[in-house]
This record gives sequence, C-alpha cells and structure tokens, in this order.
Amino acid sequence: MLILTIDRALEDPVYRQVADQLRRLVASGELVPGTALPSVRQLARDLGVNLNTIARAYRLLESEGFLVIRDRAGVTVAAPAEEIEHSARAKLLDELTATLARLRQAGMTTDDLMTIVQIEVLAIDGGGKENEDD
Amino acid sequence: MTEAVVVNLFLTVRVLLVGGILIALPSITRKGLLFGAYIGETLADRNAARQLRDSWYIGCVILMVLSLLVGYGISLSGRPLAGNLTGTGVLLSGGLLLYLRWYSKARKLVPPAAADQAKRSAAPLVGGESQGAGLAKFALGFCLLASFATYAYAVGSYQDMLASVPVYARTSFYKIILLPSVNLALSPFYALLALLTANAKRSLRGGSGGGSFEAQDAFRTTVAKLVGWMALLICAFMSYLSVRIIRVGPSEVRTLGLEILLMAVLVIVFIGFNLFRIMKQYGQGGALIETGSAEAPLTNGIADNTRWIGGLFYVDREDPSIMVESRFGFGYTLNYGNPTAILIVVSFIVLSLALIAVAVIGTRLGGG
Repeated sequence: MLILTIDRALEDPVYRQVADQLRRLVASGELVPGTALPSVRQLARDLGVNLNTIARAYRLLESEGFLVIRDRAGVTVAAPAEEIEHSARAKLLDELTATLARLRQAGMTTDDLMTIVQIEVLAIDGGGKENEDD
Repeated sequence: MTEAVVVNLFLTVRVLLVGGILIALPSITRKGLLFGAYIGETLADRNAARQLRDSWYIGCVILMVLSLLVGYGISLSGRPLAGNLTGTGVLLSGGLLLYLRWYSKARKLVPPAAADQAKRSAAPLVGGESQGAGLAKFALGFCLLASFATYAYAVGSYQDMLASVPVYARTSFYKIILLPSVNLALSPFYALLALLTANAKRSLRGGSGGGSFEAQDAFRTTVAKLVGWMALLICAFMSYLSVRIIRVGPSEVRTLGLEILLMAVLVIVFIGFNLFRIMKQYGQGGALIETGSAEAPLTNGIADNTRWIGGLFYVDREDPSIMVESRFGFGYTLNYGNPTAILIVVSFIVLSLALIAVAVIGTRLGGG
C-alpha cells in the first residue's frame, strides 16, 4: 500500500511535497502507468488540506507529463513519452545544469556529483540505494 | 404498580446499556488517544494513563448506581415517569460531566511533541469510489422517494377525509401527518449521514501505514453500511406505520400496539446488535485490528489537539472533510469548521421545525 505523507512543519509548501513524492513514485516505477490516483477531493480530505493545494500539485505533475487528468476517468499515472521532445529536453537539461551548479557551489566535488547522479539514476531504474555505501 | 415496574425496567436497561458503553469506550479507543486528548502512543501505555482509565471505570459505576437510586427513589414516591426521566437525566448529564473532567485530566498529560505530530498527515494512494457509498446512495434515493410518497399519501388521505367525514378530519390531521413528517426529516438525513461516512476522512498512522489503512477502510465501510441499513429500516418502518395509521383511523389506533412494538423492537435489536458487533470486532476507527502498525503515531486531524473542542467537536476550516473519525465515542463526527457540515445540520433542524409547523398549522386550519 502506497502512502503519501506531508509535514506542515517543513519549509516546503504542501503542494510541492505532494508533487515531489508522486514524481519519485512514478519515476521509480512504484506507480505504474494507468494507475488511478485518488481524486483531488479524496486526497485533500485524507490529508486535511485545501482542495486547491492538491489541485495545484496534480496540475503541476500533469504539465510535467507524470499524470493524466480527465473529468470522468479521474487522475491516472501517465506513460513515459516514447521519444523526448527537443524543447522539453533542452529545458530539463537547463534545470539539471542549474542544480548541479548550485551543488558544486555549495561545496560538492565533481566526483561527489558524479556519484550522486549515478545513484539517483539507478534508484529510478530500480537499482535502489544499495550502492550508496560503496 | 405494573406501570412502575415497566418504567423502572426501562430505566435499568437504559442505565446498564449507556453505562456499559461508557465503560467500554476507553478499551476500543485508538492507541495514543486518552479521553479525547492525543497524548501519544508511548504515554498511552504508561502508569498515569492506566490510572486515569481505572478511575474512569469506578466513576462510571458510581454514576450508574446514582442514576438508578435517584430514578427508583422518585418512582417509589409515586411518580414512575418522573423517576425514569430524572434517572436518565442524571445518567446523561453526569456522563458528560464525568467525561469533561477526565478530558481535562488527560490534557495535562499531553507532551510537547504532540504538537509536531499534529502537523503530519498521511493518505493512501488509492483511487475509486469509497466502499459503502453504493448502499448509501441507494438508501438516500429510496428514503427520499418513500418518505415523499408517504407524506403525499397522508395529505391526500386528509383531503379525502375532509370531503367525507368533517368531524373526523378536524381532529386527525396532526395524527395523520406527524409520522410522515418525522419520516421525511429523519430517514433521508440518516441516508445522507451514511453517504458522508462512506467518504469520511481516514486518519492513518505514520510510518508504512499499511495495517492502519486497511483497518480504517474496513471500519469506515462497515459503519457506512450500518448507517445505510438504519436509514432503510427506519424509513420502511415509519412508512408502513404511517400508512397503517391512516387506513386504520384514530379510533382503532390502539389495535396497532403490538405490531408497532414488535417492529420497533426488531429494528432496535438489529441496530443495537450490529453496533456492538462492530465495536467488539473493529474498535473505534479500526483500533482493534490495526495490530501491525498500532505503535506508529497517529497523523492527520485526529492527532491535532488544537482542532478539537473538549475532545468532542472537530473544527478545522482548512480541512475539506465533512465527517471525521470521533476521538472518544464511536463512529464519526462532523467537521464544524466546514460550511457544508453546518449547512447540513441547520437544514435538518429547519426542515424538522418546518414539518412540525405544517402539522400544527394544518390542525388549527382544519379545526377552524
């Protein structure tokens, strides 16, 4: 049973916490394409947050291609695109470059960065965090 | 003498039933909750909490004995009905005062860490319609149809009577319309409660939450189905009774006595049996079956002491839930911070008063 958790004490806004968790679950394959997610109303009720907060998280993930939102069918997990679109690829690479630059500026070495990227990619592909201690 | 015996018997049964439920409540409450306050799962097992529970049992027994003594005493003085009512009043008001006192004691045990826990929420990633909602929707449709039909039949019958037997009609409008009015207000309301319960907030535990989710879902589904069946049975009973009373006529109403009693007893036994069965099998909110994850801390609004008034009334304007799990007691309660919940309660009260007003005004006009 997959559970979503939020912590209002964190600095991260709730919609981002929801979006981040769902993004990770989809990328790691724990949420497979076609899986029906709770409706905005149902998830907002269970978490005790405003409807707009969940709606915002869902809309964000829909714009990123993680979810499909249809009125009658509800919210389902989207299948990954077969081929990445050029403009989308460029935008995402820019974001990755910016994040890596910030990590570098925060004091991480090139080797550390390479290791982290490798670990994260393996985690997404189902390799898990077992290589973290290597 | 016979009346006094029967009345005292009713009082005794009522005291034992209500008192028994009060005594049982702490044992079916979700771990971490103590008399309407969230004190955390670790503290709930410690001596202070145990002592509070033990003293609660003693308090309940004293209250039950007091209620019976007062009731019997007044009954023996020649006023059995007054004794019954006073004894019941002592039981209910005493129970409330007892609870509020124990709630304030439990609040003193709340650790600072509980405030942090209250900020956490967990929800299952499960789509689809809630279980129990199907029966609730059917019950709502059936109750609305049946109660409106019965009400229309009552009004139509009164019109016929006006045309044929004026003397009869002047004295019987209130009697004809009363039960259909109660039915129209009550049974759709219960069906609506069933639907709201089927969609109530699920208060999970932190951590993996797996066992907690299944327990919550099973409890919610079962309670929603019970309330749905309650609505159907009450509607069927009152509709049947309404039509029978109209057709029998006021002079022969007494012949219905045994029929009414038997049906009422069956409905009460059905509801009571299932209520106790659910309490024993599931506990409140699935407390007795969430064995796998009972040590993990509660999350969502149920762990937030600031959202509960007296541990009984939940108020959270941000929370879109209409029904939430009760902290102390059984079943679910309304979120009084939600305008929809307030609207439902106010609508029910207004509708009930309006129907009573129609019955009273109709009686006066008929007699005029």
